[in-house]
Amino acid sequence: MKKIIVLLSVFQLIFFSLLAQNSNIPPVDKSPMDMAYYPANYPVLKIQDKLTETLAARVVYSRPQKAGRTIFGSLVKYGEVWRLGANEATEIEFFKNVKIGGKKINKGRYTLYAIANENSWTIIVNKETDTWGSFKYDKAKDVVRTEVSVQKINMSIESLSMLFEKATSGYSLIIGWDNVKVALPITF
Amino acid sequence: MKAILLILFASVLAVSCNNEKKNSTITDEQKGDSVTIKPDNSINPFDPTDVSPMDMSYFPVDYPQLKISKGTTEPPKARIIYSRPHLGGRRLFQNLLSYNEPWRLGANEATEIDFYKDATIQGKKIKAGRYILYCIPEKEKWTIVLNNNIDSWGLHPDTSQDIARFQIPVTTTTSSLEYFTMYFKQLNAGAELVMAWDYLEARLPMSF
Repeated sequence: MKKIIVLLSVFQLIFFSLLAQNSNIPPVDKSPMDMAYYPANYPVLKIQDKLTETLAARVVYSRPQKAGRTIFGSLVKYGEVWRLGANEATEIEFFKNVKIGGKKINKGRYTLYAIANENSWTIIVNKETDTWGSFKYDKAKDVVRTEVSVQKINMSIESLSMLFEKATSGYSLIIGWDNVKVALPITF
Repeated sequence: MKAILLILFASVLAVSCNNEKKNSTITDEQKGDSVTIKPDNSINPFDPTDVSPMDMSYFPVDYPQLKISKGTTEPPKARIIYSRPHLGGRRLFQNLLSYNEPWRLGANEATEIDFYKDATIQGKKIKAGRYILYCIPEKEKWTIVLNNNIDSWGLHPDTSQDIARFQIPVTTTTSSLEYFTMYFKQLNAGAELVMAWDYLEARLPMSF
């Protein structure tokens, strides 16, 4: 009898390990990842031989959806560090040295966070890369914090969106979600 | 005694059925019978979402999660960033790909592999850094090409910038994967990059 029970538990173990094996295959994320370059559309321009500027920056982020929820002041709480994305921490890579908020930043990879408020956001550039969300955010690893003003827009953007735009001096990282938009100025 | 045996037998059956049901749920998701993401078809003046969503995979497996849960301080060894086209009712080599023609192993931006430290693949030393990956599929084998033309779009790879080519066998699987899938799997010594789509799967082993 004992043998049978042992045998049966072994079977059960095998079944459950098979189950675990199957779930190793990564499913498609609910908040899909995306990337944006400056110059905008750099990869396409590169293969078309139409580049007029050298590579400056790239952001890799995941795109949560509004899905009927109130975003700012509710899902994204005012005054708290927000991961500015989903899943893997939002990464910004500078391919040349830049200045943000008056501070010189060496080229390289950084993680972006934000503290949203109703009229302004604090954008945080942090040294800790290859991490997950803002769950282990460490202020000591901040490179710069800078305030940007919030612009209300006349529509509701379903998916968190980021893109780079040319500015009078350098370029800006535009971040939009729901009915809100901010621009982070980046200069050379 | 018989009654106990019967109960135990029934419990095994229940477990196996339950298991089957869970497995088939996973397979259905993969098949796209129940799409796991709600497509965002709304107007977006900034940047519309992609039909083939991007994804990322690290080695060590789940490195970012390990970092926050276990405080891993050792840097990762490799990372892949790729976009995930889906079958959408099509069959891989009937409608989508052709044998002996370069395939971008993804969609949109070229599939990128980043080695945080030097790697060895099929005895060849690969220096730490970013590369793009593409594939030349054949019926029995795939040639995986490591190329220097980073930050480019996946179409029309510039073969003059090839760094190395690796031939690996391709095997068939029992169930079809709806979305093209790449991920690192831990091996005893190093890792393998698993590439799977539809009924096909290929694995590129590497060590660090």
